[in-house]
Parts: sequence; structure tokens; C-alpha cells
Amino acid sequence: MSELTTDRPGQVASATPPAPGRPRRRLGDRGLAVAFISPALLLLLGMSVFPLLWALYLSFTDYSATRGGPARFVGFGNYTAILTSAQVHQRALTTLIYVVGAVTLQTVLGFAIAYLISRRTHGRGVLTTLFLVPMMLSPVVVGLFWRFMLDAQFGVVNSMLGSLGLGQVEWLTRQRTALVSLIVVDTWQWTPFIMLIALAGLTAVPKYLYEAASIDRASEWFRFRTITLPLVWPLLLIAVLFRAIEAFRLFDLVYILTSGGPGVSTETLSFHVYKVAFLGFNTGTASAYGILMVLVVIVLTQLYLRYLNKLKEG
Amino acid sequence: MRHPKRTGRTSVSRRTVRLATAAMLLVATTLAACGDGGDDGTKAGAPKAPATVPELTKDPLTLSFIWFDWPPAKALEDFANAEYRKERPNATIKVNTVPNANWHDAMFTQFAARKTDFDIAILDSQHIGEAVTNGNILDLTDFVKKNIEVDAYNPYLLAAYGQFPQAETGKRDENASLYGLPLLGDTWTMIYRKDLIGDKPPQTWDEMISVAAKCQADNPGVSGLAFHQANGSDAAAVTYNTVNGVYGGNLWDAKSRKIDGVLNDTAGHEAMDVLVNKMKPLTAKGSGNWFIDEVNAAVAQGKACIAFNWIAASGGLLDPKQSTLGTSREQILGKLGFATLPTQKTNLVPLGGMGMHVSAYSPSAQQAEALNFMRWFEQADVQKKWAAAGGVPARTDALQSPEFLNAGPFNQVYADSVPRMRDMWNVPEYARLVDIENTNVNAALNGAKSPKAALDDIAREQQGVLDSSNRKGGGGL
Repeated sequence: MSELTTDRPGQVASATPPAPGRPRRRLGDRGLAVAFISPALLLLLGMSVFPLLWALYLSFTDYSATRGGPARFVGFGNYTAILTSAQVHQRALTTLIYVVGAVTLQTVLGFAIAYLISRRTHGRGVLTTLFLVPMMLSPVVVGLFWRFMLDAQFGVVNSMLGSLGLGQVEWLTRQRTALVSLIVVDTWQWTPFIMLIALAGLTAVPKYLYEAASIDRASEWFRFRTITLPLVWPLLLIAVLFRAIEAFRLFDLVYILTSGGPGVSTETLSFHVYKVAFLGFNTGTASAYGILMVLVVIVLTQLYLRYLNKLKEG
Repeated sequence: MRHPKRTGRTSVSRRTVRLATAAMLLVATTLAACGDGGDDGTKAGAPKAPATVPELTKDPLTLSFIWFDWPPAKALEDFANAEYRKERPNATIKVNTVPNANWHDAMFTQFAARKTDFDIAILDSQHIGEAVTNGNILDLTDFVKKNIEVDAYNPYLLAAYGQFPQAETGKRDENASLYGLPLLGDTWTMIYRKDLIGDKPPQTWDEMISVAAKCQADNPGVSGLAFHQANGSDAAAVTYNTVNGVYGGNLWDAKSRKIDGVLNDTAGHEAMDVLVNKMKPLTAKGSGNWFIDEVNAAVAQGKACIAFNWIAASGGLLDPKQSTLGTSREQILGKLGFATLPTQKTNLVPLGGMGMHVSAYSPSAQQAEALNFMRWFEQADVQKKWAAAGGVPARTDALQSPEFLNAGPFNQVYADSVPRMRDMWNVPEYARLVDIENTNVNAALNGAKSPKAALDDIAREQQGVLDSSNRKGGGGL
């Protein structure tokens, strides 16, 4: 061996061994992995983990972001106050009605649309794309144009009702209709999400199952009940989980459409947290409120996932 | 003896080092994030502005304001860039605007961060208490003494937009500190359809209601009244406060900080009853979320006999492009009249408008420019020019000048209303107090609560806010 090549072209390495000195450290696989992961990890620590831990700390204090001053430790004072507050109970009930109403409606409609689309052979792609448009819009934009459409005096919805000989409806300013309006607008925007997931599930159902059922002269309803629904159900439940979590933290539509009104009848938990955090700048209470909401979501999701696993095993 | 270097799995000691590094990183991040906490515990209130304007920079500089999005904001930017630049060619004025509902949050979240992208905050008079207590704006007392002709103002106007603790209605405490100077005066005007109810506006509140009822009955498709009812900003609250004042009620007893029993006394309940049971039935269906723009739209489209709105937001009503009442300003003025609010048991009207306040977190060169701008703006000739440009000045000489009185048909209304003004509370808890009032009045107006229950709830909840300073946990609920 007379010469050694290096990674630099044109350069010839000396055959003589390098002079003894400090050994050059090379980055091992693990080191390399850490080097690649650390930027993302630091970002995660800085943007998610730290704020969460900081909010957890603040939730045990009476800290206010604007008033400054030392954060006095109040133990579980914020938590007990929130859990025993009649105001919070009222917002929790409103949120529950909203989540159940919106997610149920979206699931039924989304699955029905997906089922109808899946039976078509022509124009499936175009139809799917068209149905997905509302989902791609910003909720603030959606809220603003629905606010105009639902306006009792100048809105197109009442104008249409009027041309049908029906009376004006106060969509956004009456206790019952305001919450229904929120559910309708959210359903208009997010039904496509359920539809998309359901469509993926429906497309994945093996064709031979339907062929076998046809040979057995199974009715349409029987095929739907025993083949389609059981196979799509787990996927649909995951879509429901995502939508329920999203609906639970609804803020933007409420802010734009009703501002929580009339009175506080459409104030959701997230909207209330916003008020606690930014109207009075009660940062400690708002942090505890936020932590409790995260806990509720985590616990309910865990229970739901267990049910899903059982369903899978079954 | 040298130990062979271990390869493969990381040694326990190195893992410990990494864990320790991660922990240190987290602590460092925490400390960095809490770096501003140095001022924790040193709640000093508002820092003082110098008595004289410091030396101004000759470099190009942008003086930023923050306000909400409405016509006066654009008028101010245009006016200041046209006039102030004659004196300070290197300065550019930028009026940043946010939607009205975000106005308080936009300013105070920046104050909370101890860093603002604006140099002059245009605060509602009621925001002053919160900003002063938190040390967010400069104390201008010495600056005002040295640079401003305080005698040129109605004392209450000067106090309303700058004094803390709050001035008693109609009076100014000369020993109290000043934290702002008037930018734009404002109050409600009654807008009435001369072609439907006649040239003479109703003089009393009861007469106004009966005239509106008759007008509504005589003109199908036109509602008797239009006023603010929304539960955002201070919309519904100002409406109730106005009726409360007219019917002889009080919002609170400032000295004893008592609301429960004061707001919901006999006069308070009568005012709520008038608002919900006599005025609301005369409004358009679905108007329960109306604010400034919606009321203006109803007037401009000829859908209301009598309306109430802020004077500073009424200019658009005379624009033929935005109105169905005429093809020229004169034609519109042939149908629309502007008058001071009717009286009943008292002649009180709501104080609107805003003052200029210097951000405590603005760089010193910007603060100096801000003080110079305020000194310039409050001069007699500049105030008259501001009036001619569509602004509402606060100096008495400007208010009585032809430049102001001839600039708009509602300006005489403002000049006549100045001695009748009453403000809300400008305590640090203002944002929560007004939210409680807004949501409950809105609930009563939209049938979600009875008028009595709504007023009693307002009084009880507001009292709870004022009394909750020593509460351990759960503040804000």
C-alpha cells in the first residue's frame, strides 16, 4: 500500500501514520440522531412543553399578566373555584349540548353523503372535491359570511323564508335559535371531514363481500347493516373523536357569530376561558381552567380509545 | 493505567450528563421566559413623563397609535400626517386599528408583555384605571402643568380623558394626577326622521317613545327605534346606562364602592323596564345584536324613525353613496335631523370619546415625540383644524368655533351636550364590570332574562367583582 485516498479529490494522503495527539471524535449513529432530533425537540420544549408546565405552575397561583407583582400560591383554590362555579357549570352544559348536537349531525350527514358518493361511478372525484370546500375555509371567514346570511333583517336566509311565505326568524339573537345556528354553521363546515374519513372506509371495504352477499340475494339494508357499517364503524369513530375534541374547544364561531349571546347562552367553555384570561387578566384562574379542559379531553379520549380497542379485538 | 474507551451504549454517567443538560435547558428556558419578572413585586404605578419635551430626534421616525377601526381613526391619520409633518417633517403618523371588540385586548395584551408596538394608546376613558394601576402609561401631570392650557378646557372633559382616580361627574379634581389628554370628544346624538315625525325633535324620553310608536304604526316596514343592543364591547351597557341616567338612576356609589342596592334601586329598575318593555318592542326584529354599524345602516336605509348613535360615527349618514334617503347631502339633511338626547328626570347623556396616553414601554425617542405631538395637538389653532377635518375637539374655544360648528350638523349637538355628560366607572376592574352589564342587558333585551332579574344579577355580580380583591383563587369567575 503506497498511498491512501481521502474524501477530497486530488489530495493524496501521506502513508505515514498521523502524529499522536488528541484523537478526532466522530459522531456516532446515536449522536447523529440526537443532532437531527434536537432542533425539533427544542422547538417542542419551547413551544409546547414549557408553556404547559408554566400554565400548570400558574394554575396554582393568583398571578395576573397585567397587574404584575408576585404570583401568590393559592393551592387548589383556582381548581375548586372553577369546579364549583355555577357559571362554569352553565358553560359546560352549553358546550356539551353543542358537541353532542354538532358531532351527531355531522356524523349522520357525513356518512350519508360518503355512502351516496361511494355508490357513484362517475364524477366521484369532482363531487368529493366540491364537498371539501367548506372545510378549507377559515372559521372566521365562515363565521362572518354566515353572520350576514343569518341576519334577521338583511340576511339571505330570512329573505328566502319570506319568499316562501314564512316569517322572519331571529337566528342569532334568541336563546334557542342561536345555539342551533352555531351547530348548523359548524355542521356546514365540518361535515366534509367526516365524509372524507367515511369515504376512505367505504372504499376500503372488499368488493368480494358484496359479491358474496349478492349471490346470497341479501337485501340492500342487510348488506349495509352487516357489511358496510361494521367495517366502516371503527374509522368513523376515530373521525368522531377528532371532531368531538375540535368541537369541545370551539371559540372562533362563537366569537364571530354570537359573542356568546344572547346574554351568555352560547358561551362555550373556551369562550369563557378567553374572557377570564383577557377581560380581567386573571391568568392563574384561566390557566387552571385550561388545564382542567385538557384533563377532561385526555380522560374522555382514553376511555374512548379503550372502547375502540375493545371493538377492534371483538 | 488507561481504561479502554467504552463503545456502544452510552455510559450511565453520560446519560446523567445529558439528563442534567436537558433539565438545565428547561430551567434556562423558564428563566428566560420569566426574564421580565424582574419587575415582579415592584408595582410602582404609572412612571412619570418629563415636565418638558426632551430633545427630539432628527432621524426619520414613525409615531404609532392604536385605536379601533372606525372613520375617526382614518381622519386622525390623514390629519396628523398633513399637519404635524409641517412641524416635524421626519415624523410619520401611523394609526393602527383593530376591530372594536378586540380594542381592549389588543392594547392590554401588549401592556402585559411589557412591550408595545404603539407609542400612543387611545384609551377609552374607562380603561384609564386599569392602565394606571398596572403602570402601563406615563403620568403626564407635570407635563400638562408646563405645556397645556388647562383653563382652555371644560374641566370635566380634561378630567374624563386623563384623570385617575376618576373625576366626579361634571367636576375635576385639580390635585389628582393626569395620565392622558383629550383626542376626540363624543356623545350620543338622537337621529330622527324629519319627514316622518316633523322638524321638532321630542323633548322628553316618554315623548320620544310615544312619537316612535306612532311613527312605527304609521309607516309599515319602518321601526320606531334603533339603538345599540349587542353584547360585545360596551354596546348594550351604554344603552342601559343612558336610560338609567335619564331616569335618575346611578351606576354606583364611588366613595363606598357600592353597586348592589344603588344600581338596582327603584330608578334603576324603572330604567330597565322602560328599556326592555317600552323601547325594545319598537326596534326591528333581530336587532338584538346591533351596534354602531347596524344602527347607521338602518337609518341610512330608511328603516328607523328615531335612532341613537355616537356622534363621531355618524358622518357616514350624510354620504349619498351609503344612503337611500337622498342623492345629495342636502336631500339627506332634509329628511334627517340631529338633536341632543331627550331629558326625563335628569338631562344626563353618556360621555364617549377617547384620550391619548403614552405607552410606558415605548422607546424614549418615541415617548419624546409622543409628548411633542400631544403638546402640538392641544394648541388652539390645531384643535380648530382638527374640528374642520372632522374631529371633535375638547378645547372650549375650538368647540365654539365656526370651524367646528359648521363642520357637521351634529356638532352643535355635541357642544350642547358637554355640560350634561356622565361616564361609567374607570376602575381597574372596568373590563369585567362592563362585560357583566353588557351580557345581562343583552339577555334582557333578547328575552333570555327578565328585566328585574337581569338588573339584580348585574348589581350582584359587579359587586362581587369589586369585593373580590382579597379572594384566594378563582379570581375572574
